[in-house]
Amino acid sequence: MMAAMRTARNIPRGALLAGVGLVIAMSSGPAAELDEVRSRQTLVWAADQEGGGPHVFLDPAAPGRLTGFEVEFADLLAAELGVKARFQQGQWDRLPLLLGRSVDCVINGIELLPERRRDYGCSRPYFAYGLQLLARRDGTLAAFEQLAAAGPAGRWRVGALTGSAAEVFLRSRHDLEVDVIGYDGTIDSLEQVQSGVLDAAVMDDCIFGFYADRFAELKAVGRTFAGGYYTVLTARDTPRLAAAIDEAIGRLIADGRLKALYDRWDLAGRQQILALRDAAEIPVAGRSSLRQLAADTLPMLLAAAGMTLLLACASFPLAIAVGLAIAVGRLYGPAWLARLLTAFVEVVRGTPLMLQLYAIFFLLPQIGLALPAIVAAVVGLALNYSAYESEIYRAGLKAVPPGQFEAALALGMTKWQALRHVIVPQAVRLVMPPVTNDFIALFKDTSVCSVITVIELTKRYSVLALSTGRIVELAVVTAILYLVMSWPLSLLSRRFEARQERTA
Amino acid sequence: MITVTGLSKARGGAAVLADVELEVRTGGVTAIIGPSGGGKSTLLRCVNGLETFDSGSVSIAGHRLAPGPQPPRLLERVRRDAGMVFQQFNLFPNLTAQENVALAPRVVFGVSAAEVARRALQLLDRVGLAAFAAARPATLSGGQQQRVAIARALAMEPKVILFDEPTSALDPAMSEEVLEVIVDLARGGQTMVVVTHDHAFARRAATQVVELVAGRITRTGPPAEILGS
Repeated sequence: MMAAMRTARNIPRGALLAGVGLVIAMSSGPAAELDEVRSRQTLVWAADQEGGGPHVFLDPAAPGRLTGFEVEFADLLAAELGVKARFQQGQWDRLPLLLGRSVDCVINGIELLPERRRDYGCSRPYFAYGLQLLARRDGTLAAFEQLAAAGPAGRWRVGALTGSAAEVFLRSRHDLEVDVIGYDGTIDSLEQVQSGVLDAAVMDDCIFGFYADRFAELKAVGRTFAGGYYTVLTARDTPRLAAAIDEAIGRLIADGRLKALYDRWDLAGRQQILALRDAAEIPVAGRSSLRQLAADTLPMLLAAAGMTLLLACASFPLAIAVGLAIAVGRLYGPAWLARLLTAFVEVVRGTPLMLQLYAIFFLLPQIGLALPAIVAAVVGLALNYSAYESEIYRAGLKAVPPGQFEAALALGMTKWQALRHVIVPQAVRLVMPPVTNDFIALFKDTSVCSVITVIELTKRYSVLALSTGRIVELAVVTAILYLVMSWPLSLLSRRFEARQERTA
Repeated sequence: MITVTGLSKARGGAAVLADVELEVRTGGVTAIIGPSGGGKSTLLRCVNGLETFDSGSVSIAGHRLAPGPQPPRLLERVRRDAGMVFQQFNLFPNLTAQENVALAPRVVFGVSAAEVARRALQLLDRVGLAAFAAARPATLSGGQQQRVAIARALAMEPKVILFDEPTSALDPAMSEEVLEVIVDLARGGQTMVVVTHDHAFARRAATQVVELVAGRITRTGPPAEILGS
């Protein structure tokens, strides 16, 4: 019953994402070329306002208004094409997936990397960045070289924006004693360094420049390194749009408007222009063979599937135990306890799982309770599902005939003995099918944990698909992994239902 | 064994029991008869505290129940001394016959699992169901289920057993097998109070018959006097 109300939750996020990837890659309908952009007089550009300043962010002085140097850059670019710019919001590491759907180009600190040149149209550079290592002022990290040996608390925990050049760089440096933790927003990693969850973070220098005052306890460690350029991404099948954007950038550089823009944003306009004018060509990455792809990605996908399994198997027993305790407390406990538990259930059911995970992982450290990401994920999933399980158990407990309780009491049992030995065992049997069904749902909800830096299957797929450009092949593998893991649970659920029909 | 004094109870403004006086002697079998809705079952449930009453008092096996809600500890002690058999059996459906009988002594008195299993088997044998020890209630007939329920009540070695219309849900053949068991217990000196419609049974097994009409005791006496012969 309750499980049926939640069918929406049963759609596996991972499978969904993989499916979307599949559809996107297979239905490569023609992206809007230059003529279409001109005829509709709009250049739709995508960015993630959560990515923050100085690129694209909400103006604190005028709530709801988007600002940032890339907002102005997009306006200039569109004007050069003779059209108006229109913003489209997207999740940063998945912005390229929007190309050819609803957007014409991506302008959001997208670094010019060999893999991106292979998979998308990449404009000439419009901004030069360097990577900056950040740490707490009162910490022990004083130079990048220190990362080569373990820190005071073992391997260094270093955060970076998921899918960014900073993350790619850190993950490629196998010589460092570093655990790389991927974040969906740069401010998140700054906060986690400040609260001590992370030892350090690596990000583009302009981002730290923008937030340095707000995070006054953080310092830049050494100078910038591993620099590169931002590029405007377009779909591969819109060469004329790409060429027009290249020419427009050339004109903006030549006539000083780009320098003026960067100077307005305190981004050292003259040095930018000098770096951009003679930027070296970035090579195009080769496409790996399927055999190579499997060798490169399968171990990581399997490890991520293991994480998904671990999260589900660790959190669900907890959810069941807490849920059952809540149900018993609400039905048989004192009135004040029942009210308290009802309030808990309503709050948990009334707020999104993602928000709860966020609160546990990002807000608790601010009151001194810093949980490791995996622990926070298990606690969050268990608490969230305990509310739903408690409702199922409540229905189950109420479905046990009152005569059972009376019979137990008449035998001299206490209320708790009657519950423990007579009522609860019957209720647990009664609700076995919906509870098993919820296990499958939770199993797929683990993908939400990627917002608190846990890399499970869906997140791994998304990262690998974008870095290898093999969206379809990896989608198939990911979907198969999800099915292999949830299939036994479905069988189990069906067996419970069949058994119940036999004994009913 | 049981003394009920001036017991009254109202439900929704209407009197269910009015000034009931009852005396049950140790070793005797008291049959409570009377028309449906006369308060027979309610009286029985007041005696072991499954229901509260408004005034009067119940003294049972040395415990004393007062009007209104009673402390849980007192109720538990009363019920350990006063077993109950229900019209609808109320066996635990997830347990076997033997487990049904064994559960309460193990949970309430902490008797070892091996010991309660052995005694449960003995009790099932006493009600003629040793062969069905491993059967679940759903696979047993109504008469068999009620006999398991009697064995379950006996397992607590109660000083008195209260029967709430034990044969009303059964056909005559099954009723007979349940009544045989009760008569057998009576011969063994077990104190019992039986709410029943079955006058033949009352004549056969009861030492005292009480007639309850509209919440009042209208007649009390030996079976021959109340029911004729």
